[in-house]
Amino acid sequence: MSGVGIDAPGSTQLFVGNEAIARGALEAGIGLASAYPGTPSTEIMESLIPVAKEMNFYAEWSVNEKVALEVAAGASFAGIRAITSMKQNGVNVAFDFLANLVMSGIGAGLVLVSCDDPSALSSSNEQDLRNIAKWLDIPLLEPATFQEAKDMTKWAFDLSEELNSICMIRSVTRIAHARGNVTLGELPKKEQKAHFDSICPVVPTLPKFIPYPSAWLHSQLHAKLDKARELFESSPFNWYTGPEEAELLIITGGSCWLYSLEAVKALKLENKVGILKLGTIWPLPRKLIELHLGKSQKILMVEEIDPFLEGSIKELVADLPSTTPHHTFYGKHSGHINAYGELNPDLVIQAIAKIMDLTYESRPAEYSKKAEEVPFTYMPPRIMTFCPGCPHRATFWAIKNALRLDGRDGFVTGDIGCYTLAIGPAGFFQMRTMYCMGAGAGVANGLGKLGQFGFNQPVLAVCGDSTFFHAAIPALINGIYNQSNFTLVILDNNATAMTGFQPHPGTGVTGMGETTRAVDMEALCRSLGVQVEVCDPFDLENSTATLLEAIAQDGGPRVVIMRRECELVRGRRDKKPPYKVHVDPDKCMGEACGCDRLCTRVFGCSGMVWDSESGKATIDETICTGCGVCADICPQGAIIREAV
Amino acid sequence: MDMKVKDSKELLTEVIDAGLCTLCGACAGGCPYLVSYKGRIVLLDSCTISQGQCYQYCPRTYTDMDAISQQVFGTPYSGDELGTTKEVLMTRSTDVCIKESAQYGGTVTTLLSLALEEGFIDGAILTKMSDDKTPSVFLAQSREELLQCAGSNYMACPVLQALNRIPKDSEQRLAVVAIPCQILALSKMRQEPPQDRMNIGNVKLVVGLFCTWALSPDGFHQFLKKNLDLPQVTKFDIPPPPANIFEAYTLSDKTSFPLDEIRRFVMPACAYCLDMTSEFADISVGSVEGIEGWNTVIVRTDIGAQLIEMAKEKGKLEVDTLPPENLAHLKEASLLKKKRALHEIITKSGDRKNLLYVGLQQSIIDRLLA
Repeated sequence: MSGVGIDAPGSTQLFVGNEAIARGALEAGIGLASAYPGTPSTEIMESLIPVAKEMNFYAEWSVNEKVALEVAAGASFAGIRAITSMKQNGVNVAFDFLANLVMSGIGAGLVLVSCDDPSALSSSNEQDLRNIAKWLDIPLLEPATFQEAKDMTKWAFDLSEELNSICMIRSVTRIAHARGNVTLGELPKKEQKAHFDSICPVVPTLPKFIPYPSAWLHSQLHAKLDKARELFESSPFNWYTGPEEAELLIITGGSCWLYSLEAVKALKLENKVGILKLGTIWPLPRKLIELHLGKSQKILMVEEIDPFLEGSIKELVADLPSTTPHHTFYGKHSGHINAYGELNPDLVIQAIAKIMDLTYESRPAEYSKKAEEVPFTYMPPRIMTFCPGCPHRATFWAIKNALRLDGRDGFVTGDIGCYTLAIGPAGFFQMRTMYCMGAGAGVANGLGKLGQFGFNQPVLAVCGDSTFFHAAIPALINGIYNQSNFTLVILDNNATAMTGFQPHPGTGVTGMGETTRAVDMEALCRSLGVQVEVCDPFDLENSTATLLEAIAQDGGPRVVIMRRECELVRGRRDKKPPYKVHVDPDKCMGEACGCDRLCTRVFGCSGMVWDSESGKATIDETICTGCGVCADICPQGAIIREAV
Repeated sequence: MDMKVKDSKELLTEVIDAGLCTLCGACAGGCPYLVSYKGRIVLLDSCTISQGQCYQYCPRTYTDMDAISQQVFGTPYSGDELGTTKEVLMTRSTDVCIKESAQYGGTVTTLLSLALEEGFIDGAILTKMSDDKTPSVFLAQSREELLQCAGSNYMACPVLQALNRIPKDSEQRLAVVAIPCQILALSKMRQEPPQDRMNIGNVKLVVGLFCTWALSPDGFHQFLKKNLDLPQVTKFDIPPPPANIFEAYTLSDKTSFPLDEIRRFVMPACAYCLDMTSEFADISVGSVEGIEGWNTVIVRTDIGAQLIEMAKEKGKLEVDTLPPENLAHLKEASLLKKKRALHEIITKSGDRKNLLYVGLQQSIIDRLLA
């Protein structure tokens, strides 16, 4: 067994945070893991899948996060420990089930891992999921180290069973994707038996797994939280370092603990500044915090995104007997810590220096200036763009041309996927709305009903294939039911490409790599009674004509499927390009063409380069994947594709 | 209007969005950005070329009529009703096949067929109706292909985009059959030959058609489609006044529409056109009011005169003088178009000194506005 499944208790492995979480789940003896991919959570499932068969548990990529959580709950209800993992946006999708699940309690240990994305590096927002735990009364742990990521996950299952509640682990990008040492524990060897026992221990006539009687269960939930708080008071995941009497007390948790530690060390303030590191984030260990508040009059909360600790600790202090003088709190409310985005040691140093009236220069100003100039001096300017050979570039080229030719100021409503890049030059600025999974189709439903207000702009909703299954189907059905006038374009590249080519219901392969019945999206749409056209986006002419016809229609929705495999998937499998592409320098007229560098200026595939020396276009052979689409856009026919 | 040559965006603002575009096609086909689609010129992407040939050749950007006239005839623009003329005649084809499919006297098809036969040209660019009667540009290279293009459906068609698509190294000698706005654009191209494009010198013969207005290909075609079984239609016609109707013939039947119903589809840009008789062509051809089966022919250049002479000699055309009352009426109609257009232009620009695209001597303007 390799990877996270290595059976070597006591040995130390170098794991990324997501692997450490996966390992924790294995040490807890999970029988089921479910997830929907989403950065930065994806590698939890990615590292569980390869060991699932051998370690006798079941793992799946679910159709969406709500179903993933329900799948995990199903296992829990039948006495099998289960983990489900998702990114912060995914928890929103699962929220409805979660808000009810928390009322009933669970069977075997059930853990929900949410990977938050401060600064929204790979997300549409930077939601702070700690608030959901507080809102729904769910115990939440947050690891600060890779060892903790493993240990906390393992313990979360015990805790979940002890409290009869789902438990949440909150991680962030810098834990999920950074790498550190993890000392392994034992892997359980015992056989598991699933059995669904539906009898409610309190009211035998009621099913056990319902959120009813709600008010009573709500009071039980609070009792569970009280119990959790008691357990957390002595949790080894919370600790204090620093002097008994400190000039400043930092309260922090997660990756911010490391930033705080580094900041205090850099300022050489170990004897003046204490750090209370919390790993049990909700409910907060009240007595432990109260005890440490006595160490200083000045309290700095170091945390990312929302002032969660700050607000919660202030609430806690309000319940304490009044002290004179009362504490001074520093954090997001005081402006010492950013109210948004990621933190880093420098930002924490600045906050401490400001509070303690110190001057600190992390590096000479001249050096800083030089360092900031480097990226613009030695690196070529690059834009966010589609991969060379990506079918989406061709699709958005056809969409752009179709909408321009149609001439009614049509536009694209979109959502989450690689194709989100169409908000910029990669997709010729075609995508004009972008929110969450499936939202392009949903928003199109509303726009498509505005005819009575003189609205005649064509509405073209796009979604990826995985997104179609995830969240666009209800929007399409709504459009059919309510006869909303829009065109749904499904960008079917046969993979959940953006998160790493995970399979989905349309691919015919399960998460564990087994062949399964593929859900035929074309047949599905046709069965709903809508017109469906299937195009190869690389056939620009036919794609444009098909789109033009679709958007010219009135009435309810119609579907155009742009079907072409993700180039990265094709390239990995085929190992060779379909075409060898080159520019015939005799045919390329360069600046004299009048095309105004259509290939490099507008089409913008990174496999094409404008050679300023010859004043002509060329192909960068190291980047070009040989898709050959550019040959169809050159007005001189100067781009030559030869079958390989 | 500004006399400077500008970019495609300005073409969009000043001409296309301003309702001045005649759909001649001079701006389209030469680059990947401007294309014609369903009766409109569409800009697919922004282009950074600041002085575009698209803007330069447009017949509705500033046009110095004297310079064009100098180029074609070697004289300044006269401002006469019919432009520069050598002769005004009445002709009809002697060819039975041509007469059968011709709109009026079959003169255009006969002249082109002769020019092909004599090796004077290798092909002719003209408009052809598809089976469903949508107009498209066509390069005819034989008598048979010419016959396929006979007849008119009165819809605008971006004929000149075909010229822009001819490869730079092509040596094919061409005739172009076009309406006045298209011929004005073609004359601008001849005056300032396109760079890195086709050799405009290969256009050896320009045959102009009389035109009072053209119909919007999209709107009018939709109308026709709604009212007729288009593949069955063999010919469209607007008989001379006072009929005031538009006729569509099938093999067995004829449908008439009041002309006012058809006028709803006239290209808005036609209101601003001063030219009824294709004044910068080698030969201009139209109908003859009251004399069925004949064409009015205005011979303007030596090339035009030679071709008519040859057709006459070889017995391809019957040639007669145009009755004086017909000539007078033609002049009157042509002058009326000029006056009306000039008034429309001034109404549009809101300034008697701003004649949009028209670059005319003040004396001619004064005469027309008198």
